[in-house]
Amino acid sequence: MEHFAIVERSAAVFFGMLVFIAAAVALKNDWKATGVENQVFKLMLALLAFGALLGIFAGLGIIGKA
Amino acid sequence: MRAAVAADQFYQETRDLRVTGFLLFMVSDLVLFSSFIFAYLYLRNTGQGWPPPGAPHLNLALAALNSVALFGSGATIHFALENWKHEKFMKFAGWMLATIMLGIMFLSGQGIEYYSLYTVDHASWAGSGVFGASFFTLTGMHGLHVFAGIIYLTVLLLQAAQGKYTFKYYTGLTLGTLYWHFVDVIWVVLFSIFYLI
Repeated sequence: MEHFAIVERSAAVFFGMLVFIAAAVALKNDWKATGVENQVFKLMLALLAFGALLGIFAGLGIIGKA
Repeated sequence: MRAAVAADQFYQETRDLRVTGFLLFMVSDLVLFSSFIFAYLYLRNTGQGWPPPGAPHLNLALAALNSVALFGSGATIHFALENWKHEKFMKFAGWMLATIMLGIMFLSGQGIEYYSLYTVDHASWAGSGVFGASFFTLTGMHGLHVFAGIIYLTVLLLQAAQGKYTFKYYTGLTLGTLYWHFVDVIWVVLFSIFYLI
């Protein structure tokens, strides 16, 4: 069970980094886009990158209750 | 020719209205989630210590992986829409399928968490006090949104394959992307309040 948790945490950190990079790149590419939906997209992408960071930190055991 | 120009003008004029209408729907959904989230935070801060005695143990490792899967689906759907804008249907379909699969993965992870809570901790919606009621209500409501989103995206993908949207007129795909981002962002909050703080 403990080994399984290590695999889950490692995967969370690895994929979290991928997601963070993808969200950051998408945000950079969309930065100059105009229109109401693009403004919302930018906000959502920023929050997505933040969420990915939370996933990475939780996977590393820096934050979280377990 | 004149009909095409009129159709284009009608599309441009109504597009912002449709996007705004959908954003209003999202705001109403946000109010629904906010009500439950603030109720949970209120109960949490007015009780005698948190977590309450006997509260089930949540699996942070699984939740972190599950969260990353859902956040990843936010990135894949963004790539799907970008590819549609660049008139690459096959890549669009691939990223949409990836989004749907990640959504299913998230729901499966949630199912494993529920099963574990039910069998190991004997936790349930009605039988685990404030914590169980809040946890199952909020995550369950979010899970229903993810489930609806998976159906929504599947329908959009099928409609796109049937030619319902063109590379010029694709508001439906934009709105689907907005909805999925919204579901992602709500999970950032739920993940934080249940697993991190």
